[in-house]
Amino acid sequence: MSTWVVFRREVAHYAGSPFAYLIAFAILVLTGLLFREELVATETTIPNPAVIPNALSFFMVVFAPLLTMRLVAEEKREGTLELLLTAPVPDGSIVIGKFLGAWFYYTIVIGITLLYQIALSSVTAPDLGHTIAAYIGIWLYGGATLSVGILFSALTENQIVAAFLSMVALFLLWLADLAGQVISNIDAARVVRALSLQGHYSTSFAVGLVRMEDMVFFLGIILIMIYLATRAVESNRWR
Amino acid sequence: MQKTITLTRGGLGAFFSLIGFGGIVSAAVLLIWGGFSTLVIAALIVGLIGMIAWWRLVPDDFRAFISGRSVRYGTATIFTTVLLVGIIVMGYLLIARAAVTWDLTISQRFSLTQTSLNVIQRVNRPIQISGFYTARAAGLREIDDQYWRLYETASDGMIRRQYYDPEEVPALAQQFGVTEDAQVFLSYLNDDGTIDYSLVARVFLTDQQESDMTLAISRLLVAGTLTVYFSTGFGERSPTDDTQEGISFINNGMRESGLVTLPLDIGALAAQGGDIPEDASALVFARPLRDLTSDEVAVIARYMDRGGSLLLLSDVLFNRIPFMDQGGEFNNWLWQNYGLRALNAAVIDFVTGQTTPLEIIGAAIYDETDFSENLDPATNPVLFRIARAIDVNLSIENTDISNGRLIRSSEQSYGETDLTTLGETNTYEIDETTDVPGPLILAAWAWNQRNDSRVFLIGDSDFASNGQVANVVGNGILFTNAMNWLSHLQDEVEFGAQGFSTGVPMFYSRDQLDTITFFVVFLIPTAVLIAGAAIWARRVRR
Amino acid sequence: MIEVENLTKKYGALTAVDRISFKTKPGEIVGLLGPNGAGKTTTMRMLTGFLPPTEGSARISGHDIDTDSIEARRAVGYMPERIPVYPDMTVRAYVTFWARLRGMRRPASQVDKVLKQVQLFDRRDTLIRHLSKGMRQRLGLAQALVHDPPVIILDEPTIGIDPQQVIEVRETVRALRANHTVLLSTHILSEAEHVCDRVLIINKGQIVAQGKPGDLREKLQGGALLYVEIGGATAKDAKALLAGIPNVTSVEKEDKGWRLRISTSVDVRGEVSKRIMSAGYTLLEMRAETTSLEAIFLELISKEGSAT
Repeated sequence: MSTWVVFRREVAHYAGSPFAYLIAFAILVLTGLLFREELVATETTIPNPAVIPNALSFFMVVFAPLLTMRLVAEEKREGTLELLLTAPVPDGSIVIGKFLGAWFYYTIVIGITLLYQIALSSVTAPDLGHTIAAYIGIWLYGGATLSVGILFSALTENQIVAAFLSMVALFLLWLADLAGQVISNIDAARVVRALSLQGHYSTSFAVGLVRMEDMVFFLGIILIMIYLATRAVESNRWR
Repeated sequence: MQKTITLTRGGLGAFFSLIGFGGIVSAAVLLIWGGFSTLVIAALIVGLIGMIAWWRLVPDDFRAFISGRSVRYGTATIFTTVLLVGIIVMGYLLIARAAVTWDLTISQRFSLTQTSLNVIQRVNRPIQISGFYTARAAGLREIDDQYWRLYETASDGMIRRQYYDPEEVPALAQQFGVTEDAQVFLSYLNDDGTIDYSLVARVFLTDQQESDMTLAISRLLVAGTLTVYFSTGFGERSPTDDTQEGISFINNGMRESGLVTLPLDIGALAAQGGDIPEDASALVFARPLRDLTSDEVAVIARYMDRGGSLLLLSDVLFNRIPFMDQGGEFNNWLWQNYGLRALNAAVIDFVTGQTTPLEIIGAAIYDETDFSENLDPATNPVLFRIARAIDVNLSIENTDISNGRLIRSSEQSYGETDLTTLGETNTYEIDETTDVPGPLILAAWAWNQRNDSRVFLIGDSDFASNGQVANVVGNGILFTNAMNWLSHLQDEVEFGAQGFSTGVPMFYSRDQLDTITFFVVFLIPTAVLIAGAAIWARRVRR
Repeated sequence: MIEVENLTKKYGALTAVDRISFKTKPGEIVGLLGPNGAGKTTTMRMLTGFLPPTEGSARISGHDIDTDSIEARRAVGYMPERIPVYPDMTVRAYVTFWARLRGMRRPASQVDKVLKQVQLFDRRDTLIRHLSKGMRQRLGLAQALVHDPPVIILDEPTIGIDPQQVIEVRETVRALRANHTVLLSTHILSEAEHVCDRVLIINKGQIVAQGKPGDLREKLQGGALLYVEIGGATAKDAKALLAGIPNVTSVEKEDKGWRLRISTSVDVRGEVSKRIMSAGYTLLEMRAETTSLEAIFLELISKEGSAT
């Protein structure tokens, strides 16, 4: 109930914020360009049904921090956090509501990119199952990046610092996929890869396969990040 | 009294909390160090029972601890976070082990086809899939593993997969014959779980992992059960000769396909009145330099009556009586029994001739049989050098016999019968009275359905030499197609290529591309931007 | 209704609130009076459930703020010192948000009622960013009232707004008495006098005095102060002269003149000037000194010090 109230406020905020539309615009233009690129590159052959999710898997490193940086940091700076923490609701529901709001916004944006698939269907018969798997993957993947963003937003009062730190963190998580190129021991490389965001997307969802362990990974990341963010919000009571 | 009970309850709660943490932590440690085992489950269950008991006994303490309201805020947070991460990691590892996947691709790319399942069902001895991937190929390994683990699951453990880093275990890699990153091999396992190195088959990987693996497994299944003998003693090309003129490449290829290849001296056999061994699936004559004697023909005739297979590679010989001499006993026997014979004529082709009209390309194929698979002259032509014309009696009286042509020369070709001149001066001239008019047959087959005996006759042996096979793809395919049929390998491992519908190729007009570009790069983003601007404008006015 | 028992808050070595105990009755307006840094805000934050107390306990409408925190918070409406707002929300959306978050399912009519109460109903669709300081103050009040809590806690409700608005806010707060227990903090004595039924004076985290505002003033101030400067008299003569005036309880040297403490609120200025004239001295300066809150605290603290 309280989660729902916070969720609704966040969604209303995104819906009324020019900044949110600007980010959606940027995401759509970039994915649109890459989509066109793929069309041109694979003319007379078979286009990758996961091209847009694949592009988003990198874009989210940049956009997730921008979407989440204000979530808690702003409340802290404006002092509304004090009021939120005196409301008769568990601290977790505030964080969860905010997270779900951001995730919902993200869902709408990637939902819009599904329109591109309609365009694709007009010139070929894409493997829609493959596309759906990739979208499920990128949806969870996006949720995980947003949860990382919300943690950093909860850790600092400064939005820019929050955005920068979460960008760095996400970039490292993204990059860890390439661990094998620098780590010569394959087991170590695989462990590092298993910790990366890409490692649970590029070799499964992106090729049309939904693995339960990858879903557990992303949901686990979300769970841990939200738990930590809740604790960070709660820590405002202790100082 | 009441107080004593309360104290006991609290103490018991603390005791169970310790058991809970201890159990979960040791389960995680065991799992990470020792892999999955019943011990891990036991520790996990003990841990969970401890936690639940703690929670049931002193719910307030438990809640206070979990929500971090207990004594020291920071420490408790770290502890509960570690606990949460531990539980998630453990759940992740357990689920990763269970390998629960959903293949959403319409082509069902990550699900085994019935063909593969049939092949797996025939596995009756443990097989190991040995993958050699370095850290650089970790991503590739992950993708391949999605396929390999399907085999492990479907075979109920009969097929297991094991990965090695070739840089970590170079000796083992060498033993398997690893030459580059991301190679995969199949081998049987001994009863004690060690690898049986006597049969190691490489899996030839394309981007269709399932069909590659299933093919490799079915080859391994027949490996050692099919033996092909190479005739020796008549000056044939040697299967162990790795020079340009040798045929070691095709020999190695046959071995990699799971065939056993052995030499056999027909001359000695005939002299002793012996027979071709019982296990012979096929017998290869790779350009003997003399024709067969009556005794030798009798040996072959007996072998063929048992349902044998013959691969005959016969070249033009310029200055001596050739193998399968026209009018010779063996050639006549073949003509009568199978409707196949060699002619004493060299094929001269003015259309397909490469450097000379003697070095020719098969101009056309007859594609009524499987032999023609992948042998379209336009894409995979077969290159012959001084080929011998052969002849097929398509209207042979024996109704048990089916036979047919496979490759012919062009219309602008003929068979030069003056071989002495050709050999000595390297000149040729059409003599319409003696020469054979084209087009001429270069490869043909025959089958006796009564005893399942098979013959494949090719009027050239150079095509199978190392120098040619290595350079001309079609040559290898011709040999493989013929050998798969003759050796019965095809009967064992044949299955329709994995029905991959990898997708429909995309075709569009310029107009369509422009429309799509307008739609995705301009229309949709701009619509979003306008919606944003409208809302912003409305807000500003308030 | 608020019951506080030995409530203590320590920040490391610093004790911000030190064993405070008090009780309020329903329908009572209680003022927390004290200088900056006295522990008013910390006390309020503990009562609203924002900060957990280090020691002691408090109950809001019978719910313990530590063990039954959610219920206790439900019973409180809180307006922090700096009004926290979401500038991008409309007035109505903002109040509705807080109403919902505090558990109201259909808050629309209640929101309208509260907005009328704080005279923001006409502005209900305005974005908060366009509101003036005073309006924001009333908005803060609206969010604290909207869920109709039995206890309302207001931290410095009149700080930083113009006098006309101060009067409005005070009136609104006074009107709350009918249905709510109000705890408000202030550092302005007159405000406490005007609004509160009872005042608790806090210094250095401790309650140093409490009672009805009028009684407290009498008790603390113990009369007025008068500053007098006399020309042409020796210090000894001047002091004797001044001390001899009726109702003057003490005379102290201050700067170039003297500070007289007058026992009651009698106006002694006429008498003072008359006596100085008749003694042949010159009255150079005479002014009544207002007792600032700080002076009262000084007084209280020195009294406490001498008592112990």
